[in-house]
Amino acid sequence: MKHLSQTLIGVGTLVLAVAMAVGATQISSDAGYGGVGPNFVPWVVAVALAACGGLLVWESLSGGYREMEEGAGDEPGYWPGFVWVSAGMLLNALLITTIGFILSCTLCFVLAVRGYKASEGAPNWSPLAFLKDALTGICIAAPVYWMFTKLLAINLPGLTGSGWL
Amino acid sequence: MDIWNQLIQGFITAGTPVNLLWALAGCTIGTAIGVLPGIGPATAVAMLLPITLQVEPTGSMIFFAGIYYGAMYGGSTTSILLNTPGEAGSMVTAMEGNKMAKNGRAGAALATAAIGSFVAGTIGTVVVTLAAPVVAKYAVLLGPPEYFMLMMLAFVTVSAVLGKSTLRGMTALFVGLAIGLIGLDQISGQARYTGGVPELMDGIEVVLIAVGLFAVAEALYVMLYEGRVVGTQNKLSRVHMTREEWRRSWPAWLRATAIGLPFGTIPAGGSEIPTFLSYATEKKLSKHQHEFGTVGAIEGVAGPEAANNAAITATLIPLLTLGIPTSNTAAILLGAFQNYGIQPGPQLLDKNAPLVWALIASLYIGNVMLLVLNLPLVGIWVKLLKVPKAQLYAGILIFATVGVYGMRQSAFDLVLLYGIGLLGLVMRRFDFPAAPVVIGMILGPLAEAQMRNAMSIGEGKWTVFVQRPGSLSLLIVVIAVLVLPRLMKLWRRPKRLVA
Repeated sequence: MKHLSQTLIGVGTLVLAVAMAVGATQISSDAGYGGVGPNFVPWVVAVALAACGGLLVWESLSGGYREMEEGAGDEPGYWPGFVWVSAGMLLNALLITTIGFILSCTLCFVLAVRGYKASEGAPNWSPLAFLKDALTGICIAAPVYWMFTKLLAINLPGLTGSGWL
Repeated sequence: MDIWNQLIQGFITAGTPVNLLWALAGCTIGTAIGVLPGIGPATAVAMLLPITLQVEPTGSMIFFAGIYYGAMYGGSTTSILLNTPGEAGSMVTAMEGNKMAKNGRAGAALATAAIGSFVAGTIGTVVVTLAAPVVAKYAVLLGPPEYFMLMMLAFVTVSAVLGKSTLRGMTALFVGLAIGLIGLDQISGQARYTGGVPELMDGIEVVLIAVGLFAVAEALYVMLYEGRVVGTQNKLSRVHMTREEWRRSWPAWLRATAIGLPFGTIPAGGSEIPTFLSYATEKKLSKHQHEFGTVGAIEGVAGPEAANNAAITATLIPLLTLGIPTSNTAAILLGAFQNYGIQPGPQLLDKNAPLVWALIASLYIGNVMLLVLNLPLVGIWVKLLKVPKAQLYAGILIFATVGVYGMRQSAFDLVLLYGIGLLGLVMRRFDFPAAPVVIGMILGPLAEAQMRNAMSIGEGKWTVFVQRPGSLSLLIVVIAVLVLPRLMKLWRRPKRLVA
C-alpha cells in the first residue's frame, strides 16, 4: 500500500458520509409547500460525501491523488514538536477556567516555543530560556486579556475575579 | 444626487473620532498581519469576531474592512522583502518584487506596490460607491431560484475551478456544507445533527472553523514540516520611485485595476486569477521584456498589486448587495454581519443605509491611512519580519484562544479548535483547499433556505429553476463552469500527442 494515508482519508470521508446519512434518517421529511423537507440537503450532502470518499479511495489505490505536487505528503514530519504544541493547546483548554486566561495561555506559549525551537534544531532547555519565554508569553497574553476584559467588556476567565489576572 | 448625499452622510459617520480610530486600528492590524507570515486577513477577522458581542456594528465593520484591505498592503512588503513565497495572492508580486529587491530596488518595488494599491483601492471604492446602489436595485428583482443559482455558482467556482483537483475541492465543500447543517433548520426550526447537545443548537461558530483550519493548522504544519526552512531577507532601500519608474507604473496600475474589478464582483474566488492575468498582461505589453525574471520589472509588481486590491475592494459589491461572499474573508465578514442579525442583500442599502455608507466612506479614508502607514512608515513594518518563527506561531496560538474562547466562553471549544486544527493539518498536507469549507459552512444554510423557498414558489416542482429565464441562464453558467474546463482538456489532449 503505497498511499495508505490517502486511502485512510478517503475512508474517513466515507465514515463521515455514513454518519451524515444516519443523522439524516432522524430528521423529519415534512416538506410543507416546498416539496423538499429539512432532511433533503442532509441526504444530498451524505450522498455527495460518499461519492467523494469513494473516488478518493479509488484515486489513492490507483496511483495516488491526482494533481498533487511531486513528493507532497512524503517528507517525514517532526513529531516531537507536534507533541509539544498539542500539549500546549490541550493543557490550555484544560486549565483556562481554573488558572485563568493569562497563565494558561502563557503555559501554552512556553510549551509551543519549546517545540518550535526544537524543530529548528536549536532546542534550549535552560531554566533561563523557560523564564524568558514565560515573560514573553505574559507580555502577549496580559495586554490581550486586558483589552478584552477592560476595554471591550468581553468575559475571559481569570485567576481572580478582578479582570486583571 | 442621492448617492452623493448618502456618501456625505457616510463620511460624517465614518469621520467621528471613534470610527476613525476603528479604521486606523483596522488598517494597522491589517498591515501587521499582512506583513507577518502565518496569519491572513480571514484568520485575523475570525479571531476578532468576539468584538461583535460588544461593539456597535458600524465601528466593527469599519474595523474588519480595514483589516481586510490593509492586509493586502502589508502582504506586498513580505513578498518583496522575504524570499519565501507567501499566500497565493501575493505570490505573483513575489516573482518580480523579489528580483527587484535582490538588485537593490526594494524601495521602488515597495513604493509601486503601495501607491498601486492606493490607486486601485480608491478607484475600486468609487466603483463600489456607484455600482452598489445599481446592483441592489436590480438584485431586488431576483427571486429565490436566482439566488440559489448564484450561490451554486459561488460553490462551484470556489471548489471546482480554483483548486488543483476538483475532487478534493468538492470534498472540502461538502465537509463545509455538513458543518453548516449542524443546528436549527432555518425554515422549519427543527434541530439537525445536534445530538441533543444544547450548545450545538446555534450551530458551529465560524471563528472555530476559520481559526482552526487556517491558524492552528498552519502552526502545526510549520512545526511538522517547515522547522528547518530558513528564510532570508532582502535589504530595504530608500522608498522612492524615479520619474521613469512612475511612467512605467501608472499604466500598469490602471490596466490591473480594470482587470481586478470585474473579478472581485463575480464568484471566482478572490484575487488569484486577476493577479496572474495582470502579470501576464504586463509581461506581454512591456517594452522591457528582458527585465522580467532577471533583474525584476517594475510593471510586474505594479500590476498584480493593483489587481489584488481592486479585486478585494470589488468583493464588497456582491457581499453587500447580494449577500454572497466571493472570498474567504468576505465569507467571514458575512458571518460578522449575521452576528448582528443583519443579513446583507438588496435590502441592506435600504434598511441599514447609514451603516453601508459609513463603511464605504471608511474605505476612502482607510486607503489614505494605509498609504501613509505603508510608505513613510514601511521601516517599522519591516521590523516585524524579524519576529522569530517560534514566538510568532506560539503567539498566534494565544490569539486563537482569545478568538475562540471569547466567542462562547467554552473551554470545550478549545478542544474542538485543536481537533479542527488537526483536520486542517491533514487537509493542508494532502492539498485539500480550506476555503470551500468556510464558504460552504457559511453560505450552505443560506443556499438551502433559498432552494426551499424557490421550491415553495414552484409548488414543489424542480422545474422552477429552469422556467425562469434568470435562473436558467445562471444554471447554464454553472454547468459551463463545471464542464468547459474538462472539455478543453479533452480537446487539447490529442493535439499534444501529435506534437
